[in-house]
Amino acid sequence: MSDAANYQELARKYGFAPKLESASRLTQLVARQDSDVDEIAKVINKDPVLRDRLLRVANPNAENAAEYNIETVDEALMRNGVGCAMVLAMGTPLALALIKTFQTMLSLKLEFIDRQAAEALENEHLLGTISFAGKVVGAVYLRMNLPSARAVAAGILGLTPEDMKDTSEIFDVAGELLNIVTGNFKSNLCDAGLDCKLQPPAMKVSTDASSPVVPGGAMEHMTFRVNQIQVFVDVTANPWNDD
Amino acid sequence: MATKILSVDDSRTIRLIVGKAFRPYEVQLFEASNGEEGLAAAAREKPDLIILDVTMPVMDGVTMLTKLKENAELKGIPVIMLTAESGRDNVLQIAKIGVRDYLVKPFKEDQLIEKAGRIVTLQKKPAA
Repeated sequence: MSDAANYQELARKYGFAPKLESASRLTQLVARQDSDVDEIAKVINKDPVLRDRLLRVANPNAENAAEYNIETVDEALMRNGVGCAMVLAMGTPLALALIKTFQTMLSLKLEFIDRQAAEALENEHLLGTISFAGKVVGAVYLRMNLPSARAVAAGILGLTPEDMKDTSEIFDVAGELLNIVTGNFKSNLCDAGLDCKLQPPAMKVSTDASSPVVPGGAMEHMTFRVNQIQVFVDVTANPWNDD
Repeated sequence: MATKILSVDDSRTIRLIVGKAFRPYEVQLFEASNGEEGLAAAAREKPDLIILDVTMPVMDGVTMLTKLKENAELKGIPVIMLTAESGRDNVLQIAKIGVRDYLVKPFKEDQLIEKAGRIVTLQKKPAA
């Protein structure tokens, strides 16, 4: 029996949730340096969620779809390169893992929102970073304001926000949250042949809400909201690392 | 006699959640924060079940599982992997070494109890 068939059998036995076919296919295509751009465009065009996100990544300064300069998938890939699709392929499992983690561990339905619609992070906030290195190099950044981080940490531990007095406890829970979502997306990368290793999460209180700059790499900004909780996630990636 | 369960995870958060999940049951829970501590705790306590993470400092879960299965006294202890990593190569490698079940994070406490309950006896504590 092939590895793929063996894995499918084990996934059924262990009750794994099915993987998102389009994101997996996209990751596999992008992982091949000689992949055909038309083939990549076809996969993205078939999935409205991927298409919308690619156009958002390709038009980073647009407030909304009406302001897009780049309006088609082909144009987005031509102008921004396949690295753009890479970050998209990586961001999808990450976003799904974050939404699933909130649903599973907090019974909260996190929703994807435009960053412009979010209340900007001001003053001190929690910043968690996990770097990864291997055939793809990059980092995942997670930010929440401190009351949100406290509420999330308390919810995951089954406590009240008032119980969470110690910042190190909040860091520990938020670090594990970041570990869970990043571990899920790492599995997707590894399955596509982009083996990489995760660094342990680095947690701190930051006052700098600006997004990191990655020379030569692609980046996606994602923002999520449920009730008063806002979660900001940035993913940076530099594919085909030769180191 | 209470069922002995060993939770091996470097995350205090996960150990707290696992502890909370088993609190209503007659379970004696032991904790370790890496594979090395986990092996020592397994040898000392001879648990009925081990719940094991993969990525940990000092000694990871795959190494601990390998060493456990090489040890004649410990190899019979059933193991449930509890990890965010469900990549094909990881899962195939771990299944080959030998685990009873595999739970991907994020998880609900009910899922953990259900999987553990298929392997060991989980008796509810009498109402206070």
